[in-house]
Amino acid sequence: MRLYVSEGNPQCLKVLAAFELSGAQCEVEAVSHEECIVPFLGHSKLPALLLDNGNFLFSSNVICRYLLTSGGDETSTAVGQWLEWETLDLQPVALHALRLAVLQDKKSEALESLRPSLSYIERSLQKTGKTFLTSDELSAADVVLWGTLYPLLSEPMLLTAVDFKALTAWFQRVGSFPACKKASDGTFKGHGLQSLKSYLQRQPTNSTQATRATTD
Amino acid sequence: MAEAALKELASLEKYLGLKKTNKYSTKGERKVPVLQTKDGQDIVGLVTIACHLVKAAKQEQLLGRTREESAVVQQWLEYRIVQLGAPGAKEESRSTLRDLNEYLEDKVYFGGDFLSLADILMYYGLHSCMVDLTVQDREKFVNVSRWFSHIQQLPNVQQHLPRVHIMKNRIYTNVH
Repeated sequence: MRLYVSEGNPQCLKVLAAFELSGAQCEVEAVSHEECIVPFLGHSKLPALLLDNGNFLFSSNVICRYLLTSGGDETSTAVGQWLEWETLDLQPVALHALRLAVLQDKKSEALESLRPSLSYIERSLQKTGKTFLTSDELSAADVVLWGTLYPLLSEPMLLTAVDFKALTAWFQRVGSFPACKKASDGTFKGHGLQSLKSYLQRQPTNSTQATRATTD
Repeated sequence: MAEAALKELASLEKYLGLKKTNKYSTKGERKVPVLQTKDGQDIVGLVTIACHLVKAAKQEQLLGRTREESAVVQQWLEYRIVQLGAPGAKEESRSTLRDLNEYLEDKVYFGGDFLSLADILMYYGLHSCMVDLTVQDREKFVNVSRWFSHIQQLPNVQQHLPRVHIMKNRIYTNVH
């Protein structure tokens, strides 16, 4: 297996954490944001994982799920549901929030745009009363959501500004796994949100996605 | 969008041979499909519900037979809802077709050599786009057309959608 990442790409964090957690052996190659690694895609899509059978996985969520699920388990519907929500709802909102926070220095606005999504996660955690999103064990769903929220919620000011107790406890619980710590330290190298700047400047804006309502 | 998703799920149920006892609704501004199961739990999202139906019909082979295969199936299911299920997807449909045409160059199905749920949902998702294509474009995206024509001829796949006519012989000779 060979994993292609680009520096300061927020989508790479969850994949690097998933690799650490799974213990899978894999070569990691850092390339530029524009590099087209996946041969059949006409645009750059990173991170990407080249499987031993020659197939490419070109979505961070699918890579995380591949690494962290043994297949056929009972929780897969619940994990799949979180991943689908994260892909279609949380990712566009989080990207919009990152833009506000990093490129325009509007951190409180960024937090407000994220609030409905955070509230959705908070309610879900409260309802199930479980340690993690789908059960009492860490799953791909936790790693994926944590990875997307990490750049925003790890800013000390932002996490204390939201009054979501279950979410805060869950976020810190996932982040305390040595694999997640190692991945986040490696991605941000002590520079916080600013390390994402060059990546965010290269992303096309899609206002319809960003302003779309996120939850019910 | 919402209605299309529900029609799609109804067609999938028929394809899988499931009895029509499931109750559906939609939620949120994006009209995400929701399946209410008999034990009172909600299953939310097109792909999540579709995977659930495949398991309920005990046709797990449609989700891939190995870990690698199921990852590839999940990859194309995600591509389907991101590229073909979002508002504005129409404008991007040419670049989507270009990517799919490249990918399918040396493949019979999205999973490679086996039929999967990715083929069925991709067929539903691409249908309106294929209807709108000119004959010349159907020839340009020749691998997608070949795959599409193959899938729509499989028993019970077509369901609610009209058949798209795809020529077997090329009429434009200089198209690349």
